[in-house]
Amino acid sequence: MAQNTQVKFPWRVVDLIVGAIFIYAGAIKVLDPVLFANDIDNYKILPWTIGVGLAFYLPWLEMFCGLALIVRRLYFGGLSILIALVAVFLVATIAAKVRGLDITCGCFGHVSQNWNFPAHLALDLAILGALLALSFRVVSGDRLQNAV
Amino acid sequence: MKSSLVRQALILAALAFVPALGEAIYFRDKISWESPVAASEMVTVDRSRAWGDNAIWVDARPEEEFDRDHVPNALLLNEDRWNDLLPSFLEKWSPKKKVVVYCSSQSCNASREVARRLRGEAQLKNVFVLQGGWEEWLKTRK
Amino acid sequence: MRTRIFALTLSIVICVTARAELKWDQTMIELHPAAGDKEAIGHFKYQNTGSNPVRFKSVHTSCGCTAAQSQKEQVPPGEKGEITATFKIGDRTGTQVKTVTVETDDPAKATMVLTLKAVIPQELEINPTFVFWGQGEAPKPKTIVVRAGKDFQVKHLKVASSNPEFQTKVEQAGNGQFKIEVQPRETSRMTGATLTIQSEDSPKMFYAAARVTNAPAIQ
Repeated sequence: MAQNTQVKFPWRVVDLIVGAIFIYAGAIKVLDPVLFANDIDNYKILPWTIGVGLAFYLPWLEMFCGLALIVRRLYFGGLSILIALVAVFLVATIAAKVRGLDITCGCFGHVSQNWNFPAHLALDLAILGALLALSFRVVSGDRLQNAV
Repeated sequence: MKSSLVRQALILAALAFVPALGEAIYFRDKISWESPVAASEMVTVDRSRAWGDNAIWVDARPEEEFDRDHVPNALLLNEDRWNDLLPSFLEKWSPKKKVVVYCSSQSCNASREVARRLRGEAQLKNVFVLQGGWEEWLKTRK
Repeated sequence: MRTRIFALTLSIVICVTARAELKWDQTMIELHPAAGDKEAIGHFKYQNTGSNPVRFKSVHTSCGCTAAQSQKEQVPPGEKGEITATFKIGDRTGTQVKTVTVETDDPAKATMVLTLKAVIPQELEINPTFVFWGQGEAPKPKTIVVRAGKDFQVKHLKVASSNPEFQTKVEQAGNGQFKIEVQPRETSRMTGATLTIQSEDSPKMFYAAARVTNAPAIQ
C-alpha cells in the first residue's frame, strides 16, 4: 500500500502543477482580452473577428481544463483539449517565427514578452511533454477515479 | 473510453462558453469585432503590380535604404522628413492614382504610419499598404 | 520514468520562478520633448544584482529613427549602467512608441524589451493638410481649419503661399481656431503651392499644400 502511494504521488504533483499553470495562463488573458486579441492577430493566421472570439473563449477553456486536472473531474477530456491547444499553439508560434513576424505572445501573454524564443519554446515543449506523459499514464491503464 | 473523452471535452467546451459570452458582453464597448486595418487597405504585390501606371509607389523607409534600392519610380516619403518630401509626392499624385506604401517587411510599422497620415491629414483616398513590404516585392522582382 | 517526470516538473518550476540578474529601474520611459526639440533621449538604468557578470549580446531598436547604445559590453556583479535610447523626432507627430530589444547572456532573462514613449507637442493642428481642384473645376475657395494644440496659445496666424496663383485668407473662428480659405486664380493647368503656416509668436513653421491636379476632383 505504501508503495502504491509512492508511485501515485509524482503524477498528482504533475497534475497540480500543470493545472495551476493553465489556470494562471488563462486568468492573465481573461483580465485583458483586448491585448490577447491583438496578440492572436499578430500571428496573421486567422481573420480579426475570429481572433476576437477566441480571445474571449480560449482563456476560459484553458482555466476549466486546468481545473479539470486539479479536481480530477472530466480529466481525460480536459487533458485532450489542453494537448490540442498547446500543439496548435506551438505550430503557430514556429510558423510565425519562420515568417519573421513580430510576436510577443507566449502561453503567458504579455507577461512573457521579455523571454526569448528558445526559452518560450522550451517551456511550451516541457508543458506538452508533461501533458502527453499524463495522458500515456491514463491510456496505459492506471485506474482513474472519474465520477462524471 | 473514446466516447467518454468526447463527452467530457464537449462538457468543458460548453462550460467555457458561458463566462466567455459574459465577458464578451462586458467588454463590448472596448473592442471592435471588425478588423482595425480594413482588409481593403492592404494590397498584395501581385495586385498592386497589376495596377501598372495607375499605382504610385511610396517608400516609407529611411533615406539610406531608399538610396540603396527601391521600387522603380517609387517616391521617398518618410516621417523623418515628411514636410520636405510631401510636396514632391503631391506633385506626382492625382485622384485617380492608387497609392501603395511600403517599408521593409510585414512587421515594420513605418508604411502604416505614412498611410495613416496620407489618409488622415492629407485626406487622400485609395491609399494602400503593401503586404509583406519591400521583402515581398523583392521575391517577385523580374 | 519516475525520475524523468520529476526532472520535467522541476525544470518547469525553475523556468517559472527563475530570477533575472539584471534589475532595471524602469522598462518604460515616457518623454515629453519640448516643441522644436530634434531628439528625445531615454536613459534606461540597470544594475547587476546577481553574482555573475552579464554580457550584452545585442541592442536593437524597432525602427531606424531610434538609436540605442549600451555604455558597457560586460557588467560585473554589483555594477550599474544604462542603455541610452535616442529617438530622432523628425517630422513625427502625436504619441510615438518605440522599443529597444536588449539581448544578454543572462540565462534567466535573455531578452529585455524596453519601451520609449514620446509625446510630441503639436502647436498647430491642421486639417486637412492638402486641398485640391481638378483641372477645369470651378475655382471655388476651400477651407483648411487650424486649431491650437493642447497647452498652446495662438493669438494670430500668418499664412504665406509659395505660388501667387493660390490666394489665402485667414479668419479667426474663436477658441484658438482659425479658418484659412484657399483659392486658385484658375484651374486650367496643373500647378501647386506650399502654404507656410505660422503662429505670430513662434518661429516654428507648419505646412499645407494646395494643387490643381489632372483629373476631376472627388473631394
